[in-house]
Amino acid sequence: MKLKDIFYDTILPGDQDLNLPAASRLEIDDYMASVGATEMLARYLDLLDTLAHEKFNHGFVDLSAEDRLACVTFSKRKDIRLSTAIIVNCLKSYYTCESVLNILPTGSVPPFPEGNVVEGDDWSILEDVYERGTIYRHIPE
Amino acid sequence: MNKADVLIIGSGASGAAAAWSLSRNTSNRIVCLEQGDATKAGDYPTNKVNWELARHGTASSNPNERKNKADYPIDDNGSPISLANFNGFGGSTILYSGHFPRFHPSDFATCSLDGVGDDWPLCYEDLEPYFNENEKMMGVAGLVGDPAYPEYDRLLPPVPLGKAGRKMAETFNELGWHWWPSYSAINTSSHGGRASCVNLGPCNTGCAQGAKGSVDVTYWPQALRQGVEVRTGCCVYEICVDKFHKITGVKYLNEKGEDCFIGASIVVVACSGIGTPRLLLNSKSAAFPDGLLNNHDLVGRNLMVHPLGYTEGVFEDDLQSSVGPQGCCILSQQFYESDPANKFKRGYTMQVLRGSPAMETAVSAYMMRRLPLGPDHHKTFMSLFNHNMGIAVISEDLPEHHNRVELDEQNCDANGMPGLKVSYRVSENTQEMLKHGLEKSKLLFQQAGARVTASFAPVKHAGWHLMGTARMGNDPEKSVVSPLGQAHAVENLFIVDSSIFVTSGAVNPVATAQALTLRICDHIRQKFVN
Repeated sequence: MKLKDIFYDTILPGDQDLNLPAASRLEIDDYMASVGATEMLARYLDLLDTLAHEKFNHGFVDLSAEDRLACVTFSKRKDIRLSTAIIVNCLKSYYTCESVLNILPTGSVPPFPEGNVVEGDDWSILEDVYERGTIYRHIPE
Repeated sequence: MNKADVLIIGSGASGAAAAWSLSRNTSNRIVCLEQGDATKAGDYPTNKVNWELARHGTASSNPNERKNKADYPIDDNGSPISLANFNGFGGSTILYSGHFPRFHPSDFATCSLDGVGDDWPLCYEDLEPYFNENEKMMGVAGLVGDPAYPEYDRLLPPVPLGKAGRKMAETFNELGWHWWPSYSAINTSSHGGRASCVNLGPCNTGCAQGAKGSVDVTYWPQALRQGVEVRTGCCVYEICVDKFHKITGVKYLNEKGEDCFIGASIVVVACSGIGTPRLLLNSKSAAFPDGLLNNHDLVGRNLMVHPLGYTEGVFEDDLQSSVGPQGCCILSQQFYESDPANKFKRGYTMQVLRGSPAMETAVSAYMMRRLPLGPDHHKTFMSLFNHNMGIAVISEDLPEHHNRVELDEQNCDANGMPGLKVSYRVSENTQEMLKHGLEKSKLLFQQAGARVTASFAPVKHAGWHLMGTARMGNDPEKSVVSPLGQAHAVENLFIVDSSIFVTSGAVNPVATAQALTLRICDHIRQKFVN
């Protein structure tokens, strides 16, 4: 796997119990390109690899999952703006992906063919509010 | 013929209501100039899976982020709150959440009652018939009988509370606090030829269903049928006045960028609480060297924005909280009126918000260090998504002379017209109010068994409610327009939007702004148009 995909899966791995895909299986690269973040991503991956060598004497791809995640944490300390921008873009891409949204309990997914049902209410729940009486102020003439 | 009997500038909430009202039973030529383009329901972001991304792009409420051709830059470095709007056919109603409560009777008399702010030159009863008329036109859902208000005429059935809303309602009851289903400009049954809401959730990127009462689907279809001519992509940059202090017409750039002039017997300005002062200040003449109607240095001043407090709670159970109109669930006005026990005068509304959609849940939780990356990410996400609710504290903002917008000659829009610079401070009174509101919000969540995960004020990107910058009054030295919206200094110029508000109340202003518009237009029709 490429460094980029390993990074994606480090922060957003798949979850078998929840049936959620690993981020590398999605089109995150396309999203990064669409927001003009490709070059920024390359810089960030360089930073991760540098940190991996500094802290663990290995490249990022050769680290354990735990150490890779530690590198991501180190990257925040090193360059908070860069790391936040990349991670937030990964989250945005992941959580607007159709295959993810179809697994999450989001209700109807666009283009919203049917909408969602919200059950009706029993308005006797307002009895307490009625009983306390008027609370707005009457204005003297 | 390049002259209108009535020229309306701006097609948003008030401009649309004015167009409809003034075009009833008349053969007068009414023209509306709108600087933005018309939106199409088929183009709304919610037609696509990745609609949430548009909240930071084409459907952002922040013009500096949105950067549409019709947007003007707003320098908000001098304000803790960024101003929000939408410049296009239908104005900010395209992106609003549709929360639609009225002002209260006390909102019109804050000085007499509480010694703060100023009294309006009119009262609730003056607006009541127009509130009723407006709610019918906009299609407002809710429930009559609210003890926080004088009686409503009629409303569409309320927006359903959902599991999460019911949980919050029960908690309000446990605390003995007022709550009520939200007043919502959302069709809960077919109304006005529009379909019913199907609980999709993302109202504030435009409602593709057409169930939300944005004025492009409420007032405008009728106004167009009544003969009003709308010209979109037309940026008015000067209202022209002659030596007799009479408006002759306006200068604008049309959609091709051509310089145009249209004459008008009456001009009605409806460009919002910031767009209106911007246009007035940019309309300099020998008669008004500091900007039109600015002879007493009032235009752009007394800006009120409703500083917002926000608290989020996360419940143990999955309450499907993200399903349903996000901004319309419950409101509480338990702390709306002045209370001698408080350290502040006046009060606030608690607006209970449904849970955030998936992307927003993930990003905001990550930013607040509540959502880890790596193997625990998904399980933690699932414990937040559909489990969270928000409470917005909408605080009453009192008018202060130093809070203002001014022209920013250094930052111009695409047509070369100056943008705006904001100078705004949150007053001590409001700070105390927000503090109180956050404490009560936290108490409410704790009582409901929810974990409070965020609580802060003021919210930065929440300056939606823009009021007070061309205030009304009886005294021409202390106000810009009369109680009937007529400029004190220029007989054939009217302002009908929320810039003429005297105080801000503590509710979303659109219902009151439109009722005011209808009242003013009744007057214009009787005295001038017919």
